[in-house]
Amino acid sequence: MSTEERFDAIVVGAGPAGSVAAYCLAKAGLEVLLVERGNAPGSKNMTGGRLYGHSLEKVIPGFWEEAPVERRIVNETITFLTGESAVSLDVKSKQFAQAPSFTVLRSEFDSWLAGKAEEAGAMLACGVRVDELLRQEGKVMGIRSDEDEMLADVVIAADGVNSILAQKADIRGELPAKHVATGVKEVIELPRQVIEDRFHLTEQTGAAQLFVGECTRGMQGGGFLYTNHESISLGLVITAEEFADAEERIVDLVEEFKMHPLIQPLIEGGQVVEYSAHLVPEGGLNMMPSLCHDGLLIVGDAAGLVLNTGYMVRGMDLAIASGEAAANAVIAAKAGGDFSKQGLSSYQTALENSFVLQDMKTYAKAPKFMENHRIFGNYPGLMEEMMVSLFSVNGNSAQPVRKSMLTSIKRHGGFMQLAKDAWKGMRAV
Amino acid sequence: MKIIACYKWVLDEADLKVEAQSRRLLTGRAKSKISEYDRNALECGVQLIDESGGEVIALTAGTGGAKSSLKDALSRGPAEAVFVKDEIMAQSDPAVTAKVLAAAVRHIGEYDLILCGEGSSDEYSEQVGIRLAQLLGIPVVSFVNKVQVADGVLRAERKLDGGIEVVQVQLPAVVTVLPDMNTPRIPSLKQILAAAKKPVKELNLAGLGLDQAQLTAKVRRQTVLGTVMERKGIRFRGEAREVVQQVLTVLNKEGLC
Repeated sequence: MSTEERFDAIVVGAGPAGSVAAYCLAKAGLEVLLVERGNAPGSKNMTGGRLYGHSLEKVIPGFWEEAPVERRIVNETITFLTGESAVSLDVKSKQFAQAPSFTVLRSEFDSWLAGKAEEAGAMLACGVRVDELLRQEGKVMGIRSDEDEMLADVVIAADGVNSILAQKADIRGELPAKHVATGVKEVIELPRQVIEDRFHLTEQTGAAQLFVGECTRGMQGGGFLYTNHESISLGLVITAEEFADAEERIVDLVEEFKMHPLIQPLIEGGQVVEYSAHLVPEGGLNMMPSLCHDGLLIVGDAAGLVLNTGYMVRGMDLAIASGEAAANAVIAAKAGGDFSKQGLSSYQTALENSFVLQDMKTYAKAPKFMENHRIFGNYPGLMEEMMVSLFSVNGNSAQPVRKSMLTSIKRHGGFMQLAKDAWKGMRAV
Repeated sequence: MKIIACYKWVLDEADLKVEAQSRRLLTGRAKSKISEYDRNALECGVQLIDESGGEVIALTAGTGGAKSSLKDALSRGPAEAVFVKDEIMAQSDPAVTAKVLAAAVRHIGEYDLILCGEGSSDEYSEQVGIRLAQLLGIPVVSFVNKVQVADGVLRAERKLDGGIEVVQVQLPAVVTVLPDMNTPRIPSLKQILAAAKKPVKELNLAGLGLDQAQLTAKVRRQTVLGTVMERKGIRFRGEAREVVQQVLTVLNKEGLC
């Protein structure tokens, strides 16, 4: 093994988790190598579109002043969709500004973030595939890429949902289908002014909208829409397990989603400039591998750090916080000269004491709750029926609201079932 | 042997978009790359060095943006890079580029061989290599598909329309290479890391003794528009035999068979 070069840490994957880890390590004066498989950071990465800003704000205060973020979200909408109708809860509040979230396009955002790591002194190598971890007596010693071996005290696996490193290190097996969802997204270009008019936005502000119901044909999952500067990110996320048995192809569902009478006018005249698909880890704590090993830490999607509560989807803010926590653990381990599992264990502790694992625990029941088909199949229809009867005047003698509501509820599974699901739902989130 | 391999930092054509109505090129989101055939030139140089020793110097002239090309170029095997940086290069034509490169080559000093891609992947005017040789007063061999060097003599296969021509030339000389001469390497991790430590010499026009007045491009680009390929949209119906006959007639008319 050639040992001409040795790093304090090698970070595999220049997504938000990896780049933040590399940034923090380099800033602390450590020798860091950040390896990325894509030709540029972000070229292989995908997000629905929204970054909750708090965790990056902690690492790079006021980052949105310089980062290529698209729009700051001021309008949140949840919509229940049936074939032709929609019932929405629409929230606009100045208070969203206190903990801002932003729409982002990853090819630009990830390049910028990796650039920050490079500026701080990290060595960035793109277009490099890492084939495996080098190990000696169980301890991770570095990485092998093709014929090149590179040594480091610690490797940080930030290689995404399908973490090859975690798999090859026998930390995790193949991902079971029930722990991942398939996300597909189209970026639809529209003039800035058109977007601002259609969504009632100003130059910098944006809208986020999640959809439940017909867009997934009642399968577990949902739709999303985010406004960028001059485009709209629109897509679906559907649990891979359900999809395996479904007759529909996801591309067809996206087309239908785009034709829905609620969506169609929003994207009218737009041009699809990008189409992408990616796996989304959704197993929550159930899929989380152990994160600290001798000479190895696992962060971001590779660690399963994604929260889908039904009304919000979070991944990047958790990834960023995990990257920072991993960097801090490595810095501490270097000070103590101990890169064993024990020496790096402050990573696990830091995550447990922060929102990362606390939120994961709070929402631990959400994945199970979301398996309930009534949420995606029955309830959007129920919402529509109740609201339509509430707002319709058709010359028939009016029924008391209570009575018409109960009739609808009965037709959609009954009151007890609804109450049970509502209770479970409240407890899950 | 000392080889100078020239390359141009160009917009990646895969990222270019054409605005539907005006056919204007939208380059706003386009990334840049080392021009495809210039990668063959770099690779050719490095392979020659691998066989017979010596070193390759990567040479480019461009605007400030081309600085990001240096690490990429160096990870492909050259020992050092020379970068002539000036904003004038944004308006350059082949004559200006050749003048700048010639001055840079003189600045570098001794050399045995200069390699260029046959043409750049953005404009493909196929002039820079030839003009460079003329300015330096050395021979040029174009359309080269294969090279061998022995005892200061370069033997090259030129792939021409009518067949393959084998020529010999006394070095120093300029050789412009075709894309099928080799497969440019994908830099490995160690090559990428080593590139960061290789020397880069940054030059400006004044340092090369060039003055702006000599470097006004004579070719002025008025507009660049995307082309739209209209399909003929001809549909043939009928018996297979008839259809074949009709297709042949149409192809004949178009001069395609």
